[in-house]
Amino acid sequence: MIEKIVNPKELRHWDGRIELYWIYTSGKAGDEFFKKLMNEEKFLAAKCKKCGKVYFPPRIYCEKDFSETEFVEVSGEGCVRAFTVARLDAYEKPLEKPEIYAVIDIDGTDGCLIHLLGEVEPENVEIGMKVKPVLKPKNEREGKITDILYFKPL
Amino acid sequence: MAVGKKDIECPPYAEGTPLSDADIKQKKVTYVEDHPDIRYSWTAGQAISKFLNGLKEGKILGVKCNKCGRVMVPPRMFCELCYKPIDGWVELKDTGTVETFSISYIDPDARPLPEPVIVAVISIDGASPHMGIMHILDEVKPEDVYIGMKVKAVWKSEEEREGAITDIKYWKPMEG
Repeated sequence: MIEKIVNPKELRHWDGRIELYWIYTSGKAGDEFFKKLMNEEKFLAAKCKKCGKVYFPPRIYCEKDFSETEFVEVSGEGCVRAFTVARLDAYEKPLEKPEIYAVIDIDGTDGCLIHLLGEVEPENVEIGMKVKPVLKPKNEREGKITDILYFKPL
Repeated sequence: MAVGKKDIECPPYAEGTPLSDADIKQKKVTYVEDHPDIRYSWTAGQAISKFLNGLKEGKILGVKCNKCGRVMVPPRMFCELCYKPIDGWVELKDTGTVETFSISYIDPDARPLPEPVIVAVISIDGASPHMGIMHILDEVKPEDVYIGMKVKAVWKSEEEREGAITDIKYWKPMEG
């Protein structure tokens, strides 16, 4: 049998880094949505001209009947459909303050949004709770979903 | 909301939204971007570790199989033809023959290089025929390279060597 390396210092390895960089554009409807939110603090949904389904976030066509949609304004308020409390961050480090993530059904639409809840303690959150969005100050907004800081109880 | 100039005619239902790099940079459209930090550590294994440690000492090491009689480089712990462990290590010469080559005018990111790089597969003297490694040729013009050309390794100085394939700077044609 051939002699093998037993000293781990003689065993070699290579460290490398994979360069990866991407840009994901919001698309036609998403762009309208974020610009309206960023500039006018208003929420856009998209209503199917044929079946009347209201998409939130907006879509440029109806997924059910492929017909065109039209933009409609909604308040952005909604109800908590489901929620979870995160006590660790993405790297599994304990968070100083737990974060509450919720699926929020947006009033006047058939759609929903996943976002943070704020100004509420985890033990006081309940399903069906009415919430409203809290936005960043206008000069800090950049046309991203994080322009909404969180949703707070009404 | 179309941004940019549309030169292509297409039916309205198939109309896309052209976007240029400038549109993104000028923030004409909203987007998210990310630059994930992806790292890896690749272990060289028994055979390649010994090969790399050999390079640090200025030696090219191969392995031999007593059954098929082959001397193999780069080394491996198993003879893939006989399907048995190799039988020992052999120090090879730092000379060889160009098996095949390619002239590269662009770098790995497809950017033009100021000077073309000649990449070649070099079979190493002392190993079985056609056994060799891929490396760079220099001190020769691209038009003068040919298959079968005898070449010799140009090493980094002993202090500079770190046990990497780049401890050989390049291969140059042998005189005569």
